[in-house]
Amino acid sequence: MSTVEAAPRPPAQQYRAALRVVVVNGSPHPKSKTMGLVDVVLDTLGTLVPATVHRIDVYRLGAGFTEATDRAEVTPEIEAELRAAEAADLLVAATPIYRGSYTGLFKHFFDLVDQYALANKPVLLAATGGSDHHALALEHALRPLFGFFQAMTIPVAIYASAGDFDGTTLLTPRVYGRIEMALADVADLLTRRATSPGGARHD
Amino acid sequence: MSFEIGIMTFGEVTRDPVGGRLPSPRQRVRETIEQAQLADQVGLDVFGVGEHHRSDFVGSAPTILLAAVAQATRSIRLTSSVTVLSSEDPVRVWEQFATLDLLSAGRAEIIAGRGSYTESFPLFGYDLADYADLFSEKLDLLLRIREQNPLTWSGRFRAPLTDADIAPRADGDSIPIWVGVGGSPASAISTGRLGLPMALALLFGPITSHEQTVQLYRASAEQAGHDPAMLPVSINAHGYVGRTSRHARDTMYPYFAQGMAENNHQRGAGVLIPRAAFEAQAGPRSGLLVGSTQEVVDKLLTYHELYGVTRAIIQMGFGGMPQKQHLDAIERLGTEVAPAVRREVELRSGRAA
Repeated sequence: MSTVEAAPRPPAQQYRAALRVVVVNGSPHPKSKTMGLVDVVLDTLGTLVPATVHRIDVYRLGAGFTEATDRAEVTPEIEAELRAAEAADLLVAATPIYRGSYTGLFKHFFDLVDQYALANKPVLLAATGGSDHHALALEHALRPLFGFFQAMTIPVAIYASAGDFDGTTLLTPRVYGRIEMALADVADLLTRRATSPGGARHD
Repeated sequence: MSFEIGIMTFGEVTRDPVGGRLPSPRQRVRETIEQAQLADQVGLDVFGVGEHHRSDFVGSAPTILLAAVAQATRSIRLTSSVTVLSSEDPVRVWEQFATLDLLSAGRAEIIAGRGSYTESFPLFGYDLADYADLFSEKLDLLLRIREQNPLTWSGRFRAPLTDADIAPRADGDSIPIWVGVGGSPASAISTGRLGLPMALALLFGPITSHEQTVQLYRASAEQAGHDPAMLPVSINAHGYVGRTSRHARDTMYPYFAQGMAENNHQRGAGVLIPRAAFEAQAGPRSGLLVGSTQEVVDKLLTYHELYGVTRAIIQMGFGGMPQKQHLDAIERLGTEVAPAVRREVELRSGRAA
């Protein structure tokens, strides 16, 4: 999906120096602008720090996920996905804005995440919407969610409108610039997290 | 580049909100030809017909209307405004416009667009989910047909072409193909990359609202190796030229408000633009090209200064304006506005050179 290597569960020794990135994708669509945006984030990230990427498409997780109302009820496959998110060095929380907020199953995923598993974890917030009217949903809906988790949300959140894309390809230079700024702000931190195994993780 | 001024219509078949009269489709097609004829006589440069697939417009087959216009006119250029290319077969589009080009001795043009209405997608069996891919593939094919014949081509949305002979060819060297852009940054960037002329639509908002769009267009054209100075940009906007400032606004408002209410819904229903909002949009810092001759001249020159546009296509009869008022405005546009704008632009470019 990008220049960084995709690895579902990176073997610890081999990738010790790489940043373990987990993308939680809240889009219901197989081809989505949200993932078009995340592709650019990951490409840019790949120029700053070696990374492995695991992507969780919450709308593809199936009944083992959607029917669970409690962490104890999830199937082993879903448990593994939740643990991957909880063990990430960097979480990319990406969703289209529906009805003024993140999508339903995106929230359902985080309803199943352990209350303290994301504490002090770098989280990049990214969203897409039909127009610029929805941009502050990042600040009014996504950031408070990760505030609850005491996560370390990256100060610059990334937003792009439908008009910034040709299909799912991001075109607008301004958004590319914002992604670079967001990642440059935390490049040192991410490099430290990648190179200090065990760092501030809770796994 | 000299400054070109034209008009466009959707061929509305809607009830006159002032006089209460509903024109028949037959009457509207005749009136459309009459508008083009007058535009040609008063020296306007372009006549455009928009494509809409609904009973309240007669524009579902713009090339047929334009073919009739070709017979009734001498020198005005004939364009679609726009061709909804995403739901068309580019082979057929080329055949029709090339035929129009022969009929009109080289006056045919195409504005290829994505369309702001979606009726044509289900009508011709296309999926709106493919909106972006459809347009880029079909534009690619149309450009290749223009470039070479016979043509070998394959894509996702139609059968491949193998050494296909696509005829007729253009009357002259080529047929201009513009891309209609509503203002999204992505459309401007991809049009610039292709090095195609951009027909920019401005509906509402400050007259400066497309500064970024044009900047992105020129920057991406330059990046792709095209000379932005050679790429024309046109502005397509609603307007009306009246006897006076007040007369223009009073004449345009009821029809424009009605047309907008019928075509732009909130909570599923049309909302009439308040007169105060219309007045604000008519002011010197907003986009509508409505007013006295001098006001419209000034605003066109502002568009020229801001964006370097060298063409303006004005839609003056939106909302089903009666023919008499529409023709009066076409006459003022051709005999009063256009000469003044052309003269001033020429003076300025002479000064710059």
